[in-house]
Amino acid sequence: MWRYILKRVVLALPVLVGVSVVVFVAIRLIPGDPAQLMAGQAATQEVVQQIRQSLGLDQPLPVQYLYFLRNVVRGDLGRSLFNGAPVAEELAQRFPRTVRLALASMAVASLIGIPAGILAATRRSTWVDTAVMLVALAGVSVPVFWLGLNLILLFSVRLQWLPSFGYETWRHLVLPSLTLGAASTAIVARMTRSAMLEVLGQDYVRTARAKGLAERVVVNRHALRNALIPVVTVLGLQLGTLLSGAVLTETVFAWPGIGRLLVEAVLARDYPIIQGATLLIAATFVVLNVAVDVLYGLLDPRIRYE
Amino acid sequence: MKTAALVVITAALALALGVPGTSGPATPAPQPGGTLVIGRGVDSVTLSPYATASPDAEVIAHVAETLYQLTPEGRIEPLLAERMPQLSADGRAMTIPLRRGIRFHDGTPFDAAAVKWNFDFIMNPENRAPFRAILLGEVSSVDVLDTYTVRLNLRRPFVPLLAHLTHDFLAIHSPTAVQRAGGMRPPTGEPYGRQPVGTGPFRFREWVRGDRIVLERNPDYWGPRKPLLDQVVWRAIPDDGARVLALEGGQVHVAVRVPPRDTTRLALNRALRIDRTSSVRTIYIAFNNQKAPFTDPRVRQAFNYAVNKRAIVQTVLGGAGRVSDAPISPGIVGYSPVQPGGWPYDVNRAKQLLAEAGHAGGLNVTLLHPTGRYVQDAAVAAAVQAQLRAAGINARLQTMEWAAYLAFTNQPVDRTPVEMFMLGWGTVTGDADYGLFSLFHSSQWAPAGFNRFFYRNPEVDRLLDAARAITDPARRAATYKQAMELIWRDAPWLFLHSESQVTGLRREVQDLVVHPTERVLAHRAWLRR
Repeated sequence: MWRYILKRVVLALPVLVGVSVVVFVAIRLIPGDPAQLMAGQAATQEVVQQIRQSLGLDQPLPVQYLYFLRNVVRGDLGRSLFNGAPVAEELAQRFPRTVRLALASMAVASLIGIPAGILAATRRSTWVDTAVMLVALAGVSVPVFWLGLNLILLFSVRLQWLPSFGYETWRHLVLPSLTLGAASTAIVARMTRSAMLEVLGQDYVRTARAKGLAERVVVNRHALRNALIPVVTVLGLQLGTLLSGAVLTETVFAWPGIGRLLVEAVLARDYPIIQGATLLIAATFVVLNVAVDVLYGLLDPRIRYE
Repeated sequence: MKTAALVVITAALALALGVPGTSGPATPAPQPGGTLVIGRGVDSVTLSPYATASPDAEVIAHVAETLYQLTPEGRIEPLLAERMPQLSADGRAMTIPLRRGIRFHDGTPFDAAAVKWNFDFIMNPENRAPFRAILLGEVSSVDVLDTYTVRLNLRRPFVPLLAHLTHDFLAIHSPTAVQRAGGMRPPTGEPYGRQPVGTGPFRFREWVRGDRIVLERNPDYWGPRKPLLDQVVWRAIPDDGARVLALEGGQVHVAVRVPPRDTTRLALNRALRIDRTSSVRTIYIAFNNQKAPFTDPRVRQAFNYAVNKRAIVQTVLGGAGRVSDAPISPGIVGYSPVQPGGWPYDVNRAKQLLAEAGHAGGLNVTLLHPTGRYVQDAAVAAAVQAQLRAAGINARLQTMEWAAYLAFTNQPVDRTPVEMFMLGWGTVTGDADYGLFSLFHSSQWAPAGFNRFFYRNPEVDRLLDAARAITDPARRAATYKQAMELIWRDAPWLFLHSESQVTGLRREVQDLVVHPTERVLAHRAWLRR
């Protein structure tokens, strides 16, 4: 299995280089001049030109890219064009906050989504099933902005139980993770339900029941473990999405994570930040994909790594 | 000596539009202590002379002070300077006496050498301070006459300089602290720009990027009125709705840029107060004056007649604006109304002018506008489009994200495809020169300057040049009035409105100042308990 993991990691390198080239070129193709933005709208052309030179933006594109690549290999992601802070420092500060938010949202999604899905599957075609699926439908459909602002309205403004912004304590984490986790919860619930329904119709489940096992044991031990494989895939993909920064949630709750950083960087044409953040996000996806594949093997002994 | 003249200039500033104060009725004695939390949409970028925008300026203003200050009423008063400056007879030397006995937060003394160090740093082209040319471009050198007197030597008489000295980007920072922090590097004054040291009522304490800036009371503040708050904290809450909710929930005391849709609801909340302070930011739609059909002044005038600005301010902005009656706004030295009430709304006159210009059959134009940059900008553009239709003008709206927009509207005259576009201009120096010269002088055509609409009138050029050297305030004001009347008649813009800053405050906040230059100032603010 270790060889398999190593192989996957090595294969990921070309992916990361590819991502870096695409991002590098794409952000320079969209109109908008970082030097002009930095200098302010009142700046003279002379000042803008000076800034462009000092940032090396007057060099040909391939030269700029090679410089960038050389520095990345040396572990130097450059400095933000906008506020001069080192990119690595900025990412190191922001990414853990996004990780914290993403993990909390995943916890919400798994702890609520999986039991809800099981409940709906085992009570198929009853009012319980309908209710769970209706709530799940709402969870996927409701706009993050609407949900976030309403949670703030209820818990921060009316009840004054929880803070509406900031990131310092676990109390700051509650509302954003509920907001961010809502859609994932719904997706996980729906996925668990359909996977469970499929497994519950299998022969071995009938066999288990025929043996006289308690329904609880049949569901938890025989059905659930087999139904979890697609659920884990979904959870892994969801986590990747959440880790790449939940822009809307981070904006509503003023959560200074990587999503907001990236959006602000795009608006300011802050090339080094955009490059650093996208590389980090791409690497995160690669790692998660490997992790999900490895997890399959642990859940399903039939899967072996060659 | 022209001291008297400068005093009169400052008196003229007092004619500024009445700025509503933020203190409540019958205020009790101020109480010291507490932390004031201000919620705003963005974080600062740098707290050094490399700053370029008001979110930087408002924090700097608490930490580092300028030689003179612009009061919210539009007066210029000495701050770190002892009194108003003396101008030499030829108008080319400005001598400034400094206050004595002031120390920076790091304990080093504030004196003439510190002032010279700061100005020399900004004036040195190698340091690439973004506001060098705008603020100190006319200063050739700075002399230390004695420990507490500096003299600014000018290339030519340049009266707006006094207003420039009130600008936060010319605040005096501790030279020792700058060196100790590792200096200031372009483009953003790193690493000093993250830990400023000045003489102000508050000391820098902490900055978590993208989240908060914390200042603490300077117990040794030199001024007669000591700061009362223990701390002032700025929190970055980008979403308008979330910022307003944080105010309602009491997590911030102040929310800036309250969206017009929320003001009615907030007004009903007895724990809150809404402050509307006019801003020196003018919003306009510029015509490309060198591109048909806008080469014809009748067409430009027709557009001005065709749009009901009062209706736009009332409905789209929810009253949070003031219809432009001149190219610049009240509160700026040199402002006077050209057409009280603004350009009249008269669709028939618009149609008549268009017909005279040979466009009786109507016109097709493209109107560029930003989205989310100015209050309700996209909605204002849509309203203008709808109103133009009544005059037979079919305007196609086109929007771009801000970075692309800035670049797109900044092309030279022979290449630009732009026909008409919406922009704003904040005359942050408080002097008409910055609001008129930078925009309407023909030397400022894009991309070199901010005349992105390629307006040229030799008489306006002459008047704007002349006004820079006129020390007599009455004559100077008359010169600007003449220039503005010509500009108004030429109608290089569709004159719209100046914005109001709509700020939400909790009732306990006292003596907070919302400044027309778009800064929230807590120098003497306190919390009633």
